[in-house]
Amino acid sequence: MPSASVLNRSLELAETLPALMVAADRVAATVIQGVHGRRRVGQGDAFWQYRPYREGDSVSRIDWRQSARSRNLFVRETEWEAAASVWLWRDASPSMQYASLRNLETKAERAELITLALASLLTDASERIALLGSGLRPSTGRIAVRRVAEALFAERSRGAGPSSSLPPLVPLPAHGTIVLVSDWLDPLDQIEAMIRHYASAGVRGHLVQVLDPAEEDLPFQGHVKFEGLEAEGQHTIRRVEGVRAAYSARLAAQREGLQRLARPADWTVHLHRTDRPPQTILLSLYLAMADLRRLNAA
Amino acid sequence: MLNLGAFAFAAPGMLALLLVLPVIYWLLRMIPPLPRIVQFPAIRLLIGLEPTEQTPMKMPWWLLLLRLLLAIALIVAVARPILNPQADLPGHGPLLLMIDDGWASAPGWATRITHAERLIDRAERSGRPVIVMGTAPAPLDAPTTRHGALRPEEARTLLRAFRPKPWPTDRAAAAAELDRMQVDPAAYAVWLSDGLQDAGTDALSERLRRFSGLQVILPDQVTTPLVLLPPDAEGRDLKVRALRPVADGPRRAAIQAADDQGRVVARIELDFPATGTQGEGVLPAPAELRNRMARLDIENQGGAGSAVLLDERHRRRPVSILGERAAAAGQPLLQEVYFLERALDPYVSLSIGDRENVLNRNTAVLLIPDSSAPSPADREEIAKWIESGGVAVRFAGPNLAAGGDTLVPTPLRLGDRALGGVMSWGKPATLADFPTNSPFFGIPIPKDVRISQQVLAEPTPDLADKTWARLTDGTPLVTAEKRGQGYLVLVHTTANTGWSNLALSGLFVDMLQRLVLLSRGVAGDGINKALKPWRTLDGFGRLGAPPAGAQMLPADADKSFKPGPTTPPGLYGDENAQVAFNLGDHVAAPKPLVVPSGASTDRLSEGGETDLSRWFLLAAAILLLADLLISLWLRGMFPRALRLRRAVPAALALTLFGFLATPPDIQAQQPARPPVSTQAAAPATDAATAAPPLTDAQALRGALDVRLAYIVTGDKDVDDTSRAGLEGLSEVLRNRTSVEPADPVALDLDRDEPRLYPLIYWPITATQPNLSPRASAALDRYLRTGGIIFIDTRDQQMSFDRPVGGNPDLKRLLGGIEMPPLVSMPPDHVLTKSFYLLSDMPGRWQGGKIWIEAGNGRVNDGVSTILIGSNDYAGAWAVDQRGRGLLPVSPGGETQREMAYRFGVNLVMHALTGNYKDDQVHIQDIMQRLRR
Repeated sequence: MPSASVLNRSLELAETLPALMVAADRVAATVIQGVHGRRRVGQGDAFWQYRPYREGDSVSRIDWRQSARSRNLFVRETEWEAAASVWLWRDASPSMQYASLRNLETKAERAELITLALASLLTDASERIALLGSGLRPSTGRIAVRRVAEALFAERSRGAGPSSSLPPLVPLPAHGTIVLVSDWLDPLDQIEAMIRHYASAGVRGHLVQVLDPAEEDLPFQGHVKFEGLEAEGQHTIRRVEGVRAAYSARLAAQREGLQRLARPADWTVHLHRTDRPPQTILLSLYLAMADLRRLNAA
Repeated sequence: MLNLGAFAFAAPGMLALLLVLPVIYWLLRMIPPLPRIVQFPAIRLLIGLEPTEQTPMKMPWWLLLLRLLLAIALIVAVARPILNPQADLPGHGPLLLMIDDGWASAPGWATRITHAERLIDRAERSGRPVIVMGTAPAPLDAPTTRHGALRPEEARTLLRAFRPKPWPTDRAAAAAELDRMQVDPAAYAVWLSDGLQDAGTDALSERLRRFSGLQVILPDQVTTPLVLLPPDAEGRDLKVRALRPVADGPRRAAIQAADDQGRVVARIELDFPATGTQGEGVLPAPAELRNRMARLDIENQGGAGSAVLLDERHRRRPVSILGERAAAAGQPLLQEVYFLERALDPYVSLSIGDRENVLNRNTAVLLIPDSSAPSPADREEIAKWIESGGVAVRFAGPNLAAGGDTLVPTPLRLGDRALGGVMSWGKPATLADFPTNSPFFGIPIPKDVRISQQVLAEPTPDLADKTWARLTDGTPLVTAEKRGQGYLVLVHTTANTGWSNLALSGLFVDMLQRLVLLSRGVAGDGINKALKPWRTLDGFGRLGAPPAGAQMLPADADKSFKPGPTTPPGLYGDENAQVAFNLGDHVAAPKPLVVPSGASTDRLSEGGETDLSRWFLLAAAILLLADLLISLWLRGMFPRALRLRRAVPAALALTLFGFLATPPDIQAQQPARPPVSTQAAAPATDAATAAPPLTDAQALRGALDVRLAYIVTGDKDVDDTSRAGLEGLSEVLRNRTSVEPADPVALDLDRDEPRLYPLIYWPITATQPNLSPRASAALDRYLRTGGIIFIDTRDQQMSFDRPVGGNPDLKRLLGGIEMPPLVSMPPDHVLTKSFYLLSDMPGRWQGGKIWIEAGNGRVNDGVSTILIGSNDYAGAWAVDQRGRGLLPVSPGGETQREMAYRFGVNLVMHALTGNYKDDQVHIQDIMQRLRR
């Protein structure tokens, strides 16, 4: 029996993996068109510019073909490509397995899509990526994306085992970057502890809050008994429309608190709803990362 | 009981519960509906939130209305609402239900029972006991039922066990029974009468009037019983009569005649005149039809009184006359056959002919006039036939008087005796009364019958027993002897006017009819045999096994029969012969009931009050179900409502598909076709008439590919050439045409079935043995079902002028086959253009003609089923494995071989496409190419 169910699940995953990777690639491709190279000299494969030979330059760097066209010797310079390590993480807790309407993706699906698409984007830019908590060293290239995807699905197929709604606190090298995708509905003090842990290690972070439209709008009417997805208990409200304003205030306070926590650590917070296209969040996320890096380099 | 016009409540007290409705309303308003259950991840943000306004969620008004309606429906249901209520029964004592359950109660019996049940309902409502009594004697095997006052439920049970009886009521006995039971005089009596007066009616009326109240229920016109009398045969028709008790205007009833399987074979309408009680109709009944009729019924009456069982007396017996039909020989008035035919024709189905013709039929009675005295051989056959149950009636005359004839019941004196006449002083004799042992007993004898000449019987000790009719002087006129199952009867005078004027009198007809009746096996010797009940009618006119205690009837019971519990109407006798005793002619003619004075009357009716409580309960149940579904939906536990709506057509389609898919499954489970190995054992005659089934292997081999076939001649060289030739031709076909034949097939007509192959090549050899009948039949069948045989005489042109006459082997081999006439193939035949345009048809040799079926294109759509050529075609087609010709072709060499192939291709195309290329559509192209 277990073998059958494992087989079924792995087949299921094997089916969704390429689909998700294709979707992630598509999202990444539409995003990358708006992004350009670093326009700086550095180590890399892409041609950047020719400059006249200077003393001390290695002879092997002279571009003889270009030099032959004129009297001067030219050295071929390639664009600078600083490979940074990025650790990705997405929340896989049961509270993410939620979609208020049948034609919406669940938050978890959207989070995975964003994670994978970002991984694809980053590896295209020759960054080194790894899944936070997977224990693997960051790597680059298509194989890295694949490894992230496999790690994601390995986690999923193991079931919601270690699915905490907060990222694991693991030691990371300084100047690393983490991208954390979750709904960030946990108490702020727990989030603060996490941010503090990573910020103190010199790690940059980007928080992505993925919310279902129902979580933002609270569209229910009348007498409703709410049940949490992570055994938070039940709560019955006679007239939901009567508490809608209070709920919005609380949600805003949560976001406000999140921003407040992120700002001192120089982290960014990005908001996303599952009924919006994923490209926008991905673009803003990517730009934020590029920005930071350019600032760093300058 | 609360009465509101057409509406009433049997338990109005329960309506007080309606006062609770406001309370229910208030309660429903107070209790909020149960919450929907929603899963929500951001619950942490919700915990602790409470709306500022505390107005509870209200139940929707329509749900409130639904629940109030539910409560109202329940309350009304327990108050037992009644539509069209009827007043309580008058009086205070028990209800006495006197039900006429004789034969006359069968029409409208269901109405009668409904009416009685309604009365019981009313008695139950006022809590009065019920006495149920029938007026007809109970059947002997009826269970003893409780009498006296019963509780209404018991009375209802008893009532349901009531059935109409197939005999008349005995109201006097019922009145006596009432006396014996000492019924409470305060009882209210209701008499559900059948509307007929009988002998005991007065006694019962008198007795019933002594109760505190009496109501007589009378049937209406439709349920008034009719009596059907046994029909009278009038020539070829049956005259049907029915009686009704009261002449209440014109009425029409339908009579239907059914056979013993219950199938209706005839139907007529029968009209009662406006002022008459007797209706008459004529049922046309030719012999065959009449013999099939087993019973007559008045439609929509369904009782023993409206059913008449028919027995042999009503059938037309097959009677044969030995001799020639009178009209053929002229002077009919002199011929005995003429008188016999005239006397019997309307009553029996007659046939006239010699012994071989008439005895072969299923003849019951054989009349032998003297003019056609049987030969000794005939006499033997007739004697045998009598032994097995026939009745032969001989007539005397000059031939018999000449003596030497042994086929007589009693020895005869030689010569005849003349009474009266010119040379005699005696007078022609008259008939004495028939003796009691005679089947003629009871027929009145006309005074003017004179017998002037007769043959005389030798006086023997048993002559008196054998005599069925005698003259006044004691000499026998009719003698008879029982032989085996049958009778031999001799009328000692002629069947024409030669010796007596008997043949002119009505007596002759009566006597002949009695003799015909003899053949049904229950008269004659069996006349004193008691008849045991065989099948009897029940009260609804259904024929069934006789009830226990049914008694035997004496054979002469026809007059004394009285339908009753021990002698129900029905068929008496045994499985060989039965006599029908019907109710119709053994009960008094129906007369209308005289309603006792002081009694109220009512008509039998089905309608009445209707208890509505079950409908209210049903409405409450439906509302409850709706409420349940709505509650589930409101709580969100029914979130798939939309999806469900989509699933319903799918489920319907699935069910429908299931229904459609089931029959093939059932067929798939039918036992498989038996294997065909028995086919070889089938006799040759079978093979000649029906195509034998094929085994799957045979069928697949022949049907999956087009295959050319040749007939195995037994000559190895010829067979090898045939095979090689057809292989070569097949190869050519594969290369040049879209026909892709598989390997050729060798046909052994004794074993193989040719019908799968479109074209069979048959080389004629001198050594092939004649076809077996089986093989001939197979070929015959093949040709008749559209096959084509190409016969190759292989004799060059030795016999081409006369294909069948010329070649002796061809003639011999085709001997068993039905050959159509043949003609030489015309030059524009479709065979010359079915693929290639050809002008001659060479094989190994050139010249010669192709012979085809004559008919000029009219037969078989112009496709000849038989083609005969002589040029050893297979020899020209035959190739070795490398594709080179095996046999030399002369004189044209390889060119001629090519032409032979082309002919072969045309031949196969002709076999496969028929006259397709003959179509005028192609004529232009073909003409153009021919000109070029």
